[in-house]
Order: sequence, then structure tokens, then C-alpha cells
Amino acid sequence: MGCGRVGSSVAVRLEQEDHEVTVLDLDESSFRRLPSSFKGRRMVGSGTNHSDLESAGIEGTDAFLALSQGDNRNILASQIVKHLYGVPRVVTRLYDPFRGEIFGRLGLRTFSPTVVGADLAYRALMDAQPAPSSEDRDTDTAVSALGE
Amino acid sequence: MYIVVIGAGTVGYGLVLQMLENTEHEITLVELDGRRASDLRDELGQIVVHGDGTEVVFLESIGLARADLVIAVTGNDSHNLTACQVAKQWFHVDRAIARVNDPRNERLFRLLGIDSTVSAAAAVLAQLEFDLPEHTLIPLMHLHKGGLEVVDLHVQEGSEAAGKFLRDLSLPPQTTISLVVGLDGIPQVPTGDTKLRIGDEVIAVIAEESEPELRRLVSTPQAPEADPVAGGGA
Repeated sequence: MGCGRVGSSVAVRLEQEDHEVTVLDLDESSFRRLPSSFKGRRMVGSGTNHSDLESAGIEGTDAFLALSQGDNRNILASQIVKHLYGVPRVVTRLYDPFRGEIFGRLGLRTFSPTVVGADLAYRALMDAQPAPSSEDRDTDTAVSALGE
Repeated sequence: MYIVVIGAGTVGYGLVLQMLENTEHEITLVELDGRRASDLRDELGQIVVHGDGTEVVFLESIGLARADLVIAVTGNDSHNLTACQVAKQWFHVDRAIARVNDPRNERLFRLLGIDSTVSAAAAVLAQLEFDLPEHTLIPLMHLHKGGLEVVDLHVQEGSEAAGKFLRDLSLPPQTTISLVVGLDGIPQVPTGDTKLRIGDEVIAVIAEESEPELRRLVSTPQAPEADPVAGGGA
């Protein structure tokens, strides 16, 4: 559910691993992110709409990923497929870390790109070498230029 | 009581207007749309707050932890469900009521512990069905505990119940026949000696899962084939 950058990348990867994949998105133009070589199904529809889910073949689906931009839509869709259609593996993206924790406690497998992103940003900052001052850089350039 | 209403559309606004008549309640009305919130603030004052009713930090700022009741009535099921689950799980609010816009989500909401659900579609349908002469069973309200509901039954011609004394009917467990209203419109508190007649209206408290069995008891048996309306209408 959700053919954004993350959704399309995961879909392509899963399809390359020979899984049968259906990508659901509200907006047909989102499918532009899928390469033409992608053999999975592209379906315009909503992951919170029971009829759309059924047309996508939710009954008998082994895994569902909720990767839309809306946390609450991901929450509703995930709980519909988990509790009403018995999909055994459900993964839910929640930007809001609080909701991530709450719905993790309520039994959803959640992850928060906000938490992961903040952590990566922090580590990158701490690992980064201080940039040389402009004088040093001039010298460096001069030196390397001389070396060539 | 401190009551937080989430969603200030027609339903939320109407509800708050009604609740304001009872001055004992402290009410906060949450609206996501800034313009709508500021319009309503001009009319209702400080009780209207602009914010996201599913956002923990915002909900903390309006003191959700001390709320006795949360009522989520936006036009969007995902917001209503999330708001109620956040209120119960994070803020330990005692009771949460959600509006269900898509009737197919009703079962999910109950399964997930939402204490009570209201569905405009279901209410309108029940109201319409009520006025059809051939109605058999209409749920009137769900009781809070035990999976019980109050229903209205309408005894049909040729049904198993028609012409029988109550004591001779085998009713599903947990069924209580509370009132029988005859065609003359006179309500009667039933006993085992009460005889059900065609056209009687019966108010009963039943277990939700008994609906099909009770519906069958008061319905005209279906002819296996021969559809009399086939080819008619349209």
C-alpha cells in the first residue's frame, strides 16, 4: 500500500526475489516510480477500502506493507488486513514515533523513518570530519595541484 | 465529566451544542482544519481547539489524560480509530466512542476495544427499514456489556412465532422478551401466556449472535423457488 519511493523500491526488490506483488496506490501517476520491467500488479485503490483490498486479492495474502504517507491510514489498513482478513505478516510505517510505540504495543510491527532518520543524521554528524577552513582548503588545492 | 470531542463537522458541532446545555460537563472540541476551528471559536469560545486529535503531544496539551470520555466523530474512519486507540492506550481514557463511516469497519472497531460505535449509515438504514411493513428484526441499540442488544421484531404471516404462546417458543439463550405491542398499539408486558399474533411488534434484549435465529422465527418461510417479483419492477 503506497507507491512512493520506499513502496516502489520494496516492491521491485520483492518482485526480483520472485514474490507475487501487488502495488496499491490512490494515484495512478505514482506508478511512474516502478520500472517498466516490473511484472507485479499495479492497482489504483485505497488500502482502507474493503472492496479495493478484496480486488487486490487480500484474502490469502501472505504479507502486507502499509507505506502510505498517512500514519492513520496505515494504522487503519494494517488493522483491517490483520484482524478482518487474517493476513499473517503486516508491517506498518508510522512517521510519528509516539504512534509507532502505541501501535507496536497493540500488536502491529511498526517502524518509524523519523526515528531512524534522526539517528542516522546524528551519527553522520558525529562521524563527520570537521570541514577544513577556507585557508586550509586553498593550501590543499595548491598542494594537490602541485603534485599532479 | 471532562469530555473531548474530536472532529467539529456537522456531527461534532451538533453534539457539542447539545452537551453544552448540560453545564456540569467540561468540553473540548478538537478540529484539524484551522479555518473551521477559528470560525467555531468565534461562536463557542475557548472550548474549540485547533489541532490533530491523533497526535500525542497535542493531546497532552489539552489534558487528555484527565478526560473521562473521548468521542471521535470525524468523517474519516482512520482518524476516528486512531484517536480512540491513542486515547485508550496512551492516555488511559476510560471510554472511547467512535463514529464509523464505512459500516464494514464496525466489527473491527469493536474488536479493537472501542467501547461504542455510531454509524450514520446504519442509523439511516434502520430508520428506513423500520417503515417497511415487511421488516423482521431491527437492532435498536447495543448494550455496553455482554454483547447484548435491544431489537425490534415484527411477527410475519406464516412465521414460526405467529399464533404461538411465548412459553411454546424455543428462544435462543439470553433472550428476554421485554414488550409486545399488538396491532391495537397497546403495549403489554409479556408472560408465558402471551400469544404472538401476525403484525405484533416485539421489543427484546438478545445476544448479538442470536439475530439470525430470531429473524428466522418471525419471518415468513421463504418459498424455495418461484420469485413472485421476477420480471416486475424496473
